[in-house]
Amino acid sequence: MANMNSDSRHLLISEVDHERDPGPMNIQFESSDLRSKRPFYIEPTNIVSVNHVIQRVSDHASAMNKRIHYYSRLSTPADKALIAPDHVVPAPEECYVYSPLGSAYKLQSYTEGYGKNTSLVTIFMIWNTMMGTSILSIPWGIKQAGFTTGMCVIILMGLLTLYCCYRVVKSRTMISSLDTTTWEYPDVCRHYFGSFGQWSSLLFSLVSLIGAMIVYWVLMSNFLFNTGKFIFIETGFRHVGQTGLKLLTSSDPPASASQSAGITDFIHHINDTDTILNPNNSNPVICPSAGSGGHPDNSSMIFYANDTGAQQFEKWWDKSRTVPFYLVGLLLPLLNFKSPSFFSKFNILGTVSVLYLIFLVTFKAVRLGFHLEFHWFIPTEFFVPEIRLQFPQLTGVLTLAFFIHNCIITLLKNNKKQENNVRDLCIAYMLVTLTYLYIGVLVFASFPSPPLSKDCIEQNFLDNFPSSDTLSFIARIFLLFQMMTVYPLLGYLARVQLLGHIFGDIYPSIFHVLVLNLIIVGAGVTMACFYPNIGGIIRYSGAACGLAFVFIYPSLIYIISLHQEERLTWPKLIFHVFIIILGVANLTVQFFM
Amino acid sequence: CRRPLQALPFEKEPAGPQPSPWRPRRVMPNTAMKKKVLLMGKSGSGKTSMRSIIFANYIARDTRRLGATIDVEHSHVRFLGNLVLNLWDCGGQDTFMENYFTSQRDNIFRNVEVLIYVFDVESHELEKDMHYYQSCLEAILQNSPDAKIFCLVHKMDLVQEDQRDLIFKEREEDLRRLSRPLECACFRTSIWDETLYKAWSSIVYQLIPNVQPLEMNLRNFAQIIEADEVLLFERATFLVISHYQCKEQRDVHRFEISNIIKQFKLSCSKLAASFQSMEVRNSNFAAFIDIFTSNTYVMVVISDPSIPSAATLINIRNARKHFEKLERVDGPKHSLLMR
Repeated sequence: MANMNSDSRHLLISEVDHERDPGPMNIQFESSDLRSKRPFYIEPTNIVSVNHVIQRVSDHASAMNKRIHYYSRLSTPADKALIAPDHVVPAPEECYVYSPLGSAYKLQSYTEGYGKNTSLVTIFMIWNTMMGTSILSIPWGIKQAGFTTGMCVIILMGLLTLYCCYRVVKSRTMISSLDTTTWEYPDVCRHYFGSFGQWSSLLFSLVSLIGAMIVYWVLMSNFLFNTGKFIFIETGFRHVGQTGLKLLTSSDPPASASQSAGITDFIHHINDTDTILNPNNSNPVICPSAGSGGHPDNSSMIFYANDTGAQQFEKWWDKSRTVPFYLVGLLLPLLNFKSPSFFSKFNILGTVSVLYLIFLVTFKAVRLGFHLEFHWFIPTEFFVPEIRLQFPQLTGVLTLAFFIHNCIITLLKNNKKQENNVRDLCIAYMLVTLTYLYIGVLVFASFPSPPLSKDCIEQNFLDNFPSSDTLSFIARIFLLFQMMTVYPLLGYLARVQLLGHIFGDIYPSIFHVLVLNLIIVGAGVTMACFYPNIGGIIRYSGAACGLAFVFIYPSLIYIISLHQEERLTWPKLIFHVFIIILGVANLTVQFFM
Repeated sequence: CRRPLQALPFEKEPAGPQPSPWRPRRVMPNTAMKKKVLLMGKSGSGKTSMRSIIFANYIARDTRRLGATIDVEHSHVRFLGNLVLNLWDCGGQDTFMENYFTSQRDNIFRNVEVLIYVFDVESHELEKDMHYYQSCLEAILQNSPDAKIFCLVHKMDLVQEDQRDLIFKEREEDLRRLSRPLECACFRTSIWDETLYKAWSSIVYQLIPNVQPLEMNLRNFAQIIEADEVLLFERATFLVISHYQCKEQRDVHRFEISNIIKQFKLSCSKLAASFQSMEVRNSNFAAFIDIFTSNTYVMVVISDPSIPSAATLINIRNARKHFEKLERVDGPKHSLLMR
């Protein structure tokens, strides 16, 4: 305080000076630093009057606040001497936030990590996340399994995955020794299985992500191709005059249509026209792979007799040879973004696409009517038997269709009423099952069987509609946009998990990221060129990652935790081992189908 | 040369002997003029924190240390004009400390104006505490028998609220008994409520020279300038020395202004500036905080907003001279203005 005293001496002397020089009473301001000494001024409207204040902070609290404020200025942060002890600081529910001008309000009560989402929002979010592109393969899956079997399998798989999801949610709460509020499922796996658990869960999660990205690439090439074709047909070909090309929606007899030069069939490598369904109401359904008996729809041999323009277009716009590469130029830059939060704004497109698909399917079903016949074991020309041995293909697809186990904990964490978690989960699963059933059954049932065989149902059911169909064009556009916005998000997730665990840094350098993206994109392009069967890709990747996350880990963790608590009983053990066996069988059988 | 002192119209007769204007000037050694305030207590009883809080200076070191706080004689902490605060740890485990203490005892306890002894209420070695306290009292008796003794029972927040009065009464009785023939005043304190402040305010009140005349004149001053409230603060610590109010005020925690201003002073010193004065004005009142005498600050609260600031400030300025003379009357040792 030495300088305090010297200051005061200074001031007193200057006081004397003022006496001798009775200038203006400018005690407060030197004209030179007028700006620095302006009074602190609060707008009158901001001053709370004593009378009408809603809630004033108590004097005691104000005093304590000032005290703590002051003491904190006196010592370094490392010094514990002047930190308020617990018995002095008020309890959290007594804490107020108040402005220096007088008004005060109480903080919202803070419960750990729980969010504000109502049940409805949570259910919607779970439904939205689960609705993936596997919805396009469900009708094919039903076809592979047989109608009745298919429906039963869907319901049973729904129940099974629901139970496993319930186990996942409960697994976190069964760890009582540690604080698990911020844990996700891989953390639980690591707790039980050590670093093997962490690495394996990472690996399987990557399998599902990369599988999804490959499927996306195939589908995107498909949709882009069809969209381009549609636009080309709608606009470009009108210029080609005299061949009188119209879409095969007119009542032209098929025979003559095939002979007209031009795009008689943007139906690939088919020149027998009786596979073209041509009702008068312009709702064609096609069977793309009829001519080649199940070969994948990857080559396009469209016959253009005289039209070089169309031929050129055909050469440069090929579903499996060129379009996948065009996508590279479009999507690879997007993949390299550090943070894809921009893309998450487009989440709504997913919901819109699904809803539109539902509408589309309903519309088509109404137009086409139902064509169902029940033959139990023997395939007929147009129908498939009700029970087929290829039903594991459906289970493989459904494992991925019902897969949400690696992020269900996060989704449920934000539920406002945590006690309703199980109920909301069941409702969400029920809605998802209903949606899948609805689309699968409707597409299967309304597939026009007398002219076309049920076997024609494609792995992507939109492929059964020609490129020229307007409604499916709209569906393809929606899905294309939606996938283009989800693809970078998936890439980001894969990058975070892979690079984060290998290098410890989610963006080590542009070089690493570029290499990873090239690998992923390369895989996608390769599949799009040589094996664009999304049904196949979905069932393999679904069964693989479902093996870990859906079947093995939840059951195993449950068995282990029960064993640690000495509550393991024989029925439970047998039941959960049975689930594990089912999962393993699911995967192995895929390779034999 | 010194101006002859004049009696002013409204001042009372000073208590001490009137110094003669013709007393020959003596050059007095610097140390003899400074009187000490000893802040003593066991290691870890909270003295450094207390000093830091009261005097608004930063705790420079970790309070948990192996050695004791050894403050040099020429401490920087001064208050009430020429009083110097010295901080000593009493009865540490350190043998070095013990020896130093014993050998320097006379030096430490000479010229002591005030002894403030801090007891930790949580201490488990009551006997030892009392033993050290008594040895300090002996030293005081030998070297500065006129010193005032204050005992602070500190860290009372660690005691259950319903037991505080009981425990304090017990301690007070013990201390009174042990202090005889010296008189000690006991306070219970905690840095987490207003008791610390009140204890130190009482201590400072007893140390201000001529505090009663100051209070009387303060009241007159307040009535003359039509102020609602006038407070007198000690300069270094902003402890309230004296307080006049014409009507009952709502705010029980009025002392908190001390913390607020000290915090503001800290901010000022960070900018290499020093706090001088403050005016707060709104439609309901105007408050002025300004330097008053060499030992004090004054805060004037006027609830008539129509009175211009300049008028009040002139009044304060004029009153300053009178109050300064009041303080000076009691002898040179309490004033900085020698000429």
